[in-house]
Amino acid sequence: MVLGTEAQKYVWEGAIPLQIHLHESEVTTLPSPPPALDFTDIVAEILGPRIGYLPLLIPLIKPHFSSALPPGADTVWFDYKGMPLKWYIPTGVLYDLLCGEPERPWKLTVHFRGYPSDLLSPCEGEDSIKWSFINSLKEAAYITNGNCKNVMNMSQPDQVELWRSVGNGNMEGYLRILSKLKLGTVGEECKVKVSSGSAQPRQSIGEADLVGPSRTGRVPVRLYLRNVSEDLNDLEDAPPIDSWDKISYINRPVEIPREEGIFFSLRDAVKTLLPEFFADEPLIDEQISRIEHEDEGGVPSDNASSTRSGEVGETLDEPHELSCCPSSNNAEIKLVRIQGIEPKLEIPFAWVVNNLMNPEHFLHICVYVKVSQDLANTM
Amino acid sequence: MASESPNSARKVVVHLRATGDAPILKQAKFKIAGTDKFAKVIDFLRRQLHRDTLFVYVNSAFSPNPDELVIDLYKNFGFDGKLVVNYACSMAWG
Repeated sequence: MVLGTEAQKYVWEGAIPLQIHLHESEVTTLPSPPPALDFTDIVAEILGPRIGYLPLLIPLIKPHFSSALPPGADTVWFDYKGMPLKWYIPTGVLYDLLCGEPERPWKLTVHFRGYPSDLLSPCEGEDSIKWSFINSLKEAAYITNGNCKNVMNMSQPDQVELWRSVGNGNMEGYLRILSKLKLGTVGEECKVKVSSGSAQPRQSIGEADLVGPSRTGRVPVRLYLRNVSEDLNDLEDAPPIDSWDKISYINRPVEIPREEGIFFSLRDAVKTLLPEFFADEPLIDEQISRIEHEDEGGVPSDNASSTRSGEVGETLDEPHELSCCPSSNNAEIKLVRIQGIEPKLEIPFAWVVNNLMNPEHFLHICVYVKVSQDLANTM
Repeated sequence: MASESPNSARKVVVHLRATGDAPILKQAKFKIAGTDKFAKVIDFLRRQLHRDTLFVYVNSAFSPNPDELVIDLYKNFGFDGKLVVNYACSMAWG
């Protein structure tokens, strides 16, 4: 059995309470709705797994609405406050990105007709999602290993089981197949020592590959950038986004330096992806971040690597702030959200990657950027 | 947008290669703005080949999602100064 970390378990068990309404235009297409019954009152309440995808919930929610739907073929899609939701983005990422202030339950609207083909790529049910997932996994493997042979050569039963494990939230089943793909984890050499010291017998032949460091230290990242205006004190007041054009989508790997003694934090990673928000500081290559020995407050304590990393550092000259210095373009990072949490930026990036990445082996980072009003209007 | 560094404005050479029984294009190399999404490459191929269903890959390996910027794909997976895009009328690589 391949063991995941405690934080990984939280990610896999994480779910968002959804309250799904049927769009009213679809109700009115009924030839003659019974007058006493208002179909707009029908809602489906359901938990949407963070690592899952919205269309996978369709078989569970459709029975709630089937009595209200006109006959015909379904092309199901969802929107949040008028924004059509991209089906290939994991549910947890959509929530982190679009709900500035987490809304519980998350009120979504489902549509069974009128697919917005100009805004969303076609989705033909679970096969499309599986195909998208496997392709993301291949892309991640390509970034990590320079090729994706292991994913492409995966046996059919393994591919089926991998996908089923993701759909069912079965982390152990997923990790067992994943270990064969040799995607590796990053910079966690110390993890081997920790797990071998436990009483748990090690059974998996693939485990050595899983805990070994990756060859390149390149981490596949999908980063979503959203602007909020400067005079906004509360994210709850942020106007809803109505178009994907207002979100920047960045796919750039982060290279974790392999040199010994260099501590590479989440802040360093965000800085390599968004250097324009750190304009007043030297580039990452020119500085070595240091962390205080005791500064582990925000790091979940189950993982030894996060505390180990502290040993290489000395003292911190200045505490790293979440809000970065305003850069030349009058914009600053307001918050960084990964898997529903806002980690301290001093946290080791390797810990973030190994614990918070999604099953397709991408780390999804949502970044809210505060821009001054004048600038926001021109964007 | 603030996230765009100056070098994302550059043009990327996309080399379109037919796979399987897909028709070969007369012109195989195109320049496309780095700020464009991969969806634009897919749409271009759909229009050129008059096909709704098309499977489009990078480096004979994987299909990027349509939102990915061409410049990101080029930087991550390009070589010899170009991004190799394969297209097929049926699924070529899972």
